Amino acid sequence: MSRSMWRRVQHPMDKHCSRYHSVTILPISGSCLSTGRLDLDGGAALQPQSGYIRSSTGNGGSTSVLAWDFNRTQLKTDHLSMTDTFQQLPEVLKLATSAHVKYIQSLDTRKDEYDYWLTEHLRLNGVYWGLTALYLLGVPEGLPRSETIDFVLSCQHESGGFGAAPGHDAHMLSTVSAVQILAMVDAFGELESRGKGKAQVGKYIANLQNRQTGTFAGDEWGEEDTRFLYGAFNALSLLGLMHLIDVDKAVDYVAACANFDGGYGVSPGAESHSGQIFTCVASLTIAKRQDLIDKERLGKWLSERQLANGGLNGRPEKKEDVCYSWWVLSSLEMIGKTHWIDRDKLINFILQCQDTEKGGISDRPGDMVDVWHTLFGITGLSLLGYPGLELVDEVYCLPKSTITRIFGP
Amino acid sequence: MPPKGKAAQKPKAGSSAAATKSPAATPAAPLSTKSTKATPDQQQPQSSTVAEKSKHNFTLCHPFEDLTGKNSLSALPTQADQLVWFASRLVTRLPVRSIGAKGQKDLWKTVNDHSLPPRGFNIRKHQKRQQQHKTADSRGRDIGEYSTKEWELRQEKRVTLSCLQLQSQRFRELRDRQKRGFVDSQTGDTVLVTDSEYLEEKQRRREMDRLKKELYGTQGMGRQGKLALDPEWDDVVPIVVEDPENALAAIAYSPDYAEAMSYLRAVMNSKEYSPRCLKLTEYIINLNPAHYTVWLFRAANIFALKLPILDEITWLNQIALENLKNYQIWHHRHLLVENYYPSISSDPAALSAFAASEREFLTQILAEDTKNYHVWSYRSWLVGKLGTWFNPEELKSTEDLIDQDVRNNSAWSHRFYLVFSDPENCTPGDKYAATEADPKVPGQIVDREVGYAEGKIRLAPQNQSGWNYLRGVLVKGGRELKSVQSFAEEFVMGLGEEGEGGEGEGTGEEVKSSHALDLLAEIYKEQGEKQKADLCLRRLVEKWDRIRGGYWQWRRDGLGLGEVAA
Repeated sequence: MSRSMWRRVQHPMDKHCSRYHSVTILPISGSCLSTGRLDLDGGAALQPQSGYIRSSTGNGGSTSVLAWDFNRTQLKTDHLSMTDTFQQLPEVLKLATSAHVKYIQSLDTRKDEYDYWLTEHLRLNGVYWGLTALYLLGVPEGLPRSETIDFVLSCQHESGGFGAAPGHDAHMLSTVSAVQILAMVDAFGELESRGKGKAQVGKYIANLQNRQTGTFAGDEWGEEDTRFLYGAFNALSLLGLMHLIDVDKAVDYVAACANFDGGYGVSPGAESHSGQIFTCVASLTIAKRQDLIDKERLGKWLSERQLANGGLNGRPEKKEDVCYSWWVLSSLEMIGKTHWIDRDKLINFILQCQDTEKGGISDRPGDMVDVWHTLFGITGLSLLGYPGLELVDEVYCLPKSTITRIFGP
Repeated sequence: MPPKGKAAQKPKAGSSAAATKSPAATPAAPLSTKSTKATPDQQQPQSSTVAEKSKHNFTLCHPFEDLTGKNSLSALPTQADQLVWFASRLVTRLPVRSIGAKGQKDLWKTVNDHSLPPRGFNIRKHQKRQQQHKTADSRGRDIGEYSTKEWELRQEKRVTLSCLQLQSQRFRELRDRQKRGFVDSQTGDTVLVTDSEYLEEKQRRREMDRLKKELYGTQGMGRQGKLALDPEWDDVVPIVVEDPENALAAIAYSPDYAEAMSYLRAVMNSKEYSPRCLKLTEYIINLNPAHYTVWLFRAANIFALKLPILDEITWLNQIALENLKNYQIWHHRHLLVENYYPSISSDPAALSAFAASEREFLTQILAEDTKNYHVWSYRSWLVGKLGTWFNPEELKSTEDLIDQDVRNNSAWSHRFYLVFSDPENCTPGDKYAATEADPKVPGQIVDREVGYAEGKIRLAPQNQSGWNYLRGVLVKGGRELKSVQSFAEEFVMGLGEEGEGGEGEGTGEEVKSSHALDLLAEIYKEQGEKQKADLCLRRLVEKWDRIRGGYWQWRRDGLGLGEVAA
């Protein structure tokens, strides 16, 4: 079932002579054959012909790399610094930081092409996505602080909850985005003085818990989803108000969502899905109940999300998508199994999804960009230790600096 | 408004060549000549424009007025002219009695001799008036440039518009009278606005809107939105929310959507539940199906008006087919079913009919998008709600989907739920989690499922879903993994062996499934055959699943065989 091919390779960046490599192509999944890229390299810049395993010490500094050269089946050890590796890449495969910053800043003007994403019911969430991305790109002042706070507080209702835009009904998702934004810009004081106060927000969230089952609804209409459970834990822990809810019941509910394949679904019995897995694992992490997770089974299932082109999908036999480089990767990070996927391939994939001219990242190479995928592509790169990016907290999807400020080092 | 268009027909003095030119064109025209007044009328040429006619009329009526201000006393040739000019100014601008008797006598003599118009002409007022009236039509063309015919057409339109406005006003009065319950004095019946009159009014408003747009353009008096034109919405004041100038993350709405949203805010504020609100929600959903508030308001309307749920579900089916990636549709359906269920819970026939109709629709929509997560999570919820685990149709439907695409992970997951949450075969409730063995499960069910999984795995050995399912079934049934060892070994042959030509290790291998290798590694480890397990894992790292090298290496470390060189 394997095919061997001998190809002469000349990498454009390679100053050395080309080398002959033997490559084995495996039809592990259908997409392997369809991508067509054989990932051959002639220099140290791109690795994929051999498998690389990185130790998880990385925070942008040097990491030791164990390189397996399969032709000679020897163990080679190369010490490559991450920065060196990525500086040698051609321009198109580097992160176009300034373009992305410009893209995010341009989102607050009226433009037709962003209509679909910045629709009314997502406006506050859109601000959260854009702002987090700017913080991670190292440009926290990219959006004006006081205007952001004004806007966020203008979305608040009497009940304490926040709507997606001024005049919109309060909903859990926009409330969580609001709390996250205020945490990032360090504006809980303004929430107390000018807004309805932290206690009121906590009360709104706590009222959305279904005290029989432990899960949370999105608003008074009662749609229940583990996303809202995670949102509640996220916001309440940032506000320091976890005591307002029945944490144990909620944890029981999350545990009941565990499936036979190791993953978690939207409700008990539903199919395992990477997005839901993130919400469940993060909820359990915040509640300090990771003991309930079968980390090996889950880690295996998550590692299976990686396709031959390096991208991650959300469920078996689905297409890759950049936003899963957050949902899957942060889950792996939380259970400490990030080294179970091929990180360089994933970095390559994310970098290919960016629009280096106009900025922004799309769900897969060649598609239209949007702020959602821009954020999650950047968070993915940050988790993988890409140089030049601020560290992101894998549980809260906020800059690590924000989390250290709120919870202490 | 300066008089327009009438001069051509009126026989009037002063239509000579001198009069066709404006006073400004002839700065030194002798004003004292009577020829300007006495010459016989001459028909204006038909091609003259409105502006020209206007000017012509003006010069006829105000022969001594000079709008441009270029004429001054010093420009007039003779003293006699100057006196006349002075007199014309005096008689219109001054209270004449303030001059002495002799002065008045002289003044009136000059006025009568030269037929000076005694009425005042306020130039500033005139200029202001000129500015107020739009001189450009809706296409930006100067109205002054219109020819007579075009001008008449325009006047006709304006007259039509006025008539329509009168009729519309009459309609509003009629409707108002109906609201107050008036009785028609002649026939003795209560006043009623019929449907045909409503329709007429709608058409009339559209016509008015069109005319206004043609005459005055889209600014100001121009086009209004669809709802503003609809007589049904006359009594509702829309709540318009404008973004401030430099709003953060401002949104570009289409005007239709913005208008519909402002009406929605108004009715949601007043908590109105009526058929027109329902229609409004349908309109907005067609514009933006992802707006969750409008869905909730629609649900509120349906429950308040006690409309038949099944009709709503039929309508929802259409919307669902058009918007496959929409959360709100499925939550709406959830709400509807929650509301509907109590009425059929005691009637098994109705229950099964409903379950069948739902299944039919779900099959239809899954044909469009076989792995739609919202559809599948709704489906598993519905099975739980209606209690249809045991229904063979449900299982068959799931099997059909697996037959069509053995890689459909959602279908596999649903099958697991159907089989292992069925209260007949399993311990109900959450005593045993999905990942735990359940002693109540009958052995034959486990055998059946294992057989089913094995059959499907053979069709696509590299597909994860089948292997995950097999593993899940074995755990649930409390079986050991080694019971499928021989099955897994079907997919792996000659592991680690050399080929015939002696090309090196592994070239004689035939591995149809990396998942089989994974399972075998686990089985061998359980049985204590660590070397064999290590071989499987090593080949996975080296060749058969390199991208997950980190994981396989971790498994190798877990075997406890000490440091290994590849």
